[in-house]
Amino acid sequence: MKNKNKQTKFPVARIKKIMQKDEEVGKVAQATPIVISKALELFLALIIEQASKVTTDRGSKKVEAYHLKHAVETTEMLDFLKEIVQAVPDPSAGGTIDLDAENEGGKKRRSRAKRANTGGGAAEGTTKKRRKKKGDVEMEQEQEQAGEGDAEVKSDPDPDQDGDAPMQDDDDDD
Amino acid sequence: MSDREGHSGAPSGDDDLSLPKATVAKMIAELLPNDIVCAKETRDLVIECCVEFIHLISSEANEICEQESKKTIAPEHIISALQRLGFESFMSDVEDVLKDHKQQQKDREKKVSKLEQSGMTEEELQAQQEALFAASRAKFQSTQQ
Repeated sequence: MKNKNKQTKFPVARIKKIMQKDEEVGKVAQATPIVISKALELFLALIIEQASKVTTDRGSKKVEAYHLKHAVETTEMLDFLKEIVQAVPDPSAGGTIDLDAENEGGKKRRSRAKRANTGGGAAEGTTKKRRKKKGDVEMEQEQEQAGEGDAEVKSDPDPDQDGDAPMQDDDDDD
Repeated sequence: MSDREGHSGAPSGDDDLSLPKATVAKMIAELLPNDIVCAKETRDLVIECCVEFIHLISSEANEICEQESKKTIAPEHIISALQRLGFESFMSDVEDVLKDHKQQQKDREKKVSKLEQSGMTEEELQAQQEALFAASRAKFQSTQQ
């Protein structure tokens, strides 16, 4: 039984602020964030429902990140979230959590799990050749290497990050 | 935490803009069946997804708004955006919320205009009320005797 006594609501003012972070967005009618709040409730219900289905399918009692990832990948309405969940490793790869979510909302940096920690080369199996190492050299000074064939790399919207600089860990540049 | 008075979860910089963790955690708990819990990491990821949803809808609504040569994003633009983006199933509930909101606005306006329409100030109205009370009190007392 879902939606038992839902009293909690999303903060309308915060929604408006989030909307206006987009430079394209100008004025917003007063009722608009209220309406978005409702849509957001429905969206949350959808995503939680899908994720928890995966959880129970796998016989677990805790909704893990990779349950969410799987739900996103199998639900058409959630397609736009694919990039966000991309960094979540699948359990088969050793389960090392590459907590990009901790770093700036996971969108800015894509990093691989440190080899030392994984002990199983977990990064190899899952990553699509991410370029950077978390917390290592600041990548701003690296130059973008043209002609890099890795599509994943290019799709990262952050302008600060460039490059496929030659790094010990990365073999995509050689 | 205590160094900020009235800390209501408002972020200090605009770049940290997100939804309040506690609120979302509560909502998630309300949605999940009794025997399932949500991992902390998952909850944070869900919040990211929600923020992304806001951006997605807002961006689409903004486009629709521009196509109509309007400057202000109206709720109707949001509803159209939902449809365009494949969230038709949301439309009906969202339209209901909009209807309720409009009705509430109407009621608020009615209240104000009633006061204005009487053509009397608040003091005059109050005096009139007391006069009516006095009259009915007198009536009541006379029937007691």
